[in-house]
Amino acid sequence: MRRSSPPWFVAHGLLIAAASLFALPLVWMLLSSLKPAAELAADPHRVFPREWRPANYLDAVTTMPYFQYLLNSLVLCAGSVIGTLWSCSLAAYAFSRMRWPGRNAVFGLLIATMLLPWHVTMVPKFLLISELGLYNTLGALIAPTFLGDAFSIFLLRQFFLTIPEELSEAARLDGCTEWGIYWRIILPLSGPALATVALFQFVAAWNDFSGPLLYLNDPARFTLAYGLEQFVSSYSSQTNLLMAAAVLFTLPIVLLFLFAQRTFIRGIATSGLKG
Amino acid sequence: MEHSTRHRRRQLRQLTAALPFLAPWLIGFATLIAYPFIASLFWSFTSYDMLSPPEFVGVENYRRLAEEFVRGERFGLAVWNTVYFALVSVPLSIVLGVALAVMLSWNIRGRAVYRTLFFLPSVVPAVASSVLWLWLLDPQAGLVNYLLTGAGLSGPGWFNSTAEAAWPLAWFRGTWGFGSKDALVLMSLWGVGNFMIIYLAALGDVPVQLYEAAELDGAGPLRRFWHVTLPLLTPVIFFNLVMGLIHAVQAFTQVYIVSEGQGAPAGSTLMLSLYVFLAAFKYLEMGYASAIAWSMFVLIVLATWGLFRSSRYWVFDPSGARL
Repeated sequence: MRRSSPPWFVAHGLLIAAASLFALPLVWMLLSSLKPAAELAADPHRVFPREWRPANYLDAVTTMPYFQYLLNSLVLCAGSVIGTLWSCSLAAYAFSRMRWPGRNAVFGLLIATMLLPWHVTMVPKFLLISELGLYNTLGALIAPTFLGDAFSIFLLRQFFLTIPEELSEAARLDGCTEWGIYWRIILPLSGPALATVALFQFVAAWNDFSGPLLYLNDPARFTLAYGLEQFVSSYSSQTNLLMAAAVLFTLPIVLLFLFAQRTFIRGIATSGLKG
Repeated sequence: MEHSTRHRRRQLRQLTAALPFLAPWLIGFATLIAYPFIASLFWSFTSYDMLSPPEFVGVENYRRLAEEFVRGERFGLAVWNTVYFALVSVPLSIVLGVALAVMLSWNIRGRAVYRTLFFLPSVVPAVASSVLWLWLLDPQAGLVNYLLTGAGLSGPGWFNSTAEAAWPLAWFRGTWGFGSKDALVLMSLWGVGNFMIIYLAALGDVPVQLYEAAELDGAGPLRRFWHVTLPLLTPVIFFNLVMGLIHAVQAFTQVYIVSEGQGAPAGSTLMLSLYVFLAAFKYLEMGYASAIAWSMFVLIVLATWGLFRSSRYWVFDPSGARL
């Protein structure tokens, strides 16, 4: 017996009660998104719609340029996943598989940058990126991911450290360069870690609100996260459409999570425990 | 002599080998972190509207902040709101996160399903969960107040109210209730799944022998939790406390959306993070915004430092000092 548990009916009772509380908001979002506007206004607390109205979803994607936003979001996600994997795996390799003077001190600096609130760097960074002509382009949000971020570097480094050093030694004896070891040995062995970082970065880019709020100005460039907020301020009275839009925005992330649950959970546990 | 030259030459070779790997991050560090870090410190002593060059004004921005703080005006309000939100949401999320993780560690069927349900809300994007909770907590049409009324309680004003449920003086003043910041706390508790997963992983690492030994000594479930589980979780609780505080102080997206981008109602959700944004991009006072951002940074550093100082008194040291 691993650990004592309360009697099964008490345990399940408590867990079902808690799980219902956690699930209820999502269920309510779904149900509200399927009601006609009039019904929602007249009788907002009725559980199941009198008349199911899936057309809300059609209305939601036509009242806002949904597919334009979706395309922008996907470009942002793809660009930042590529940027992060490239820049962070390189830095993580140097921090875990190479010896060089000052490595620990520089790694400490990297960790310290995680404590810096983004507000401190917000204004100068904004001016710098605007100066480069990236204002009002997705490039303003994608370009920085090609310059590494501390969290992903840390996560990859933790994984690279677990790969036996003998593999690198053997490759070096065979005349393999550091680039060769990085590309042919470390990266192919790091599939799960790279998947975790890619997944986290995809979700972060999909959800990012402050980036588009600061850098995007032209509605044709908006991402879904920002577009949804704009939709809220202009259609705040049409709750059914709002909920349909929110479901459409949330669903890909929820599906991604259900599909890749292990990767998510392993990533969170790793970054939290080995810190 | 010859040895040290060779040593230095080797170090140089190592550095030149590592530099290309580090180059992207180093360029990013220099341009997107180090330079902005120093520039904003410098600008916090200037008056700067982005159109004309910054003009040195000494400590004027900080004097303004101190004045607003003392009078309880905008900056004072923002500090209070930020501290309130962090001090209420972080401890509650630790208690809830540990409780859920302990429940998930029970030896029963269907744990994976429960875990998924507890974790799912934490992957819902902040924009979507803000929109959703604005609807759920709508004082008239929202589901939560409907259920509360059904249970014979009066529904609070939530996002329409400036009340602060965790502020003891409100009891005596007769203004007690759940307001906008409490609604934000509720939202953050709904997304506690991230923390829960970390506790769950830590619970799995607790050696079974410790429970067996405690049971042999006649310790019941509550004492086993208090004397075995909880001490062994303290390092993870400490980690989550630090990360949770840093995140809570920086909370922006949900604050921006529920407050209509301005801290509504009546400045009750004006947090430091929102105030920096407004000062910079609404009022175009870059110098003043930089001063707020630096105050925020100092607040985070002090809080982190204090937590690290306190950790020796309550965080379990695996080397065995407290067992």
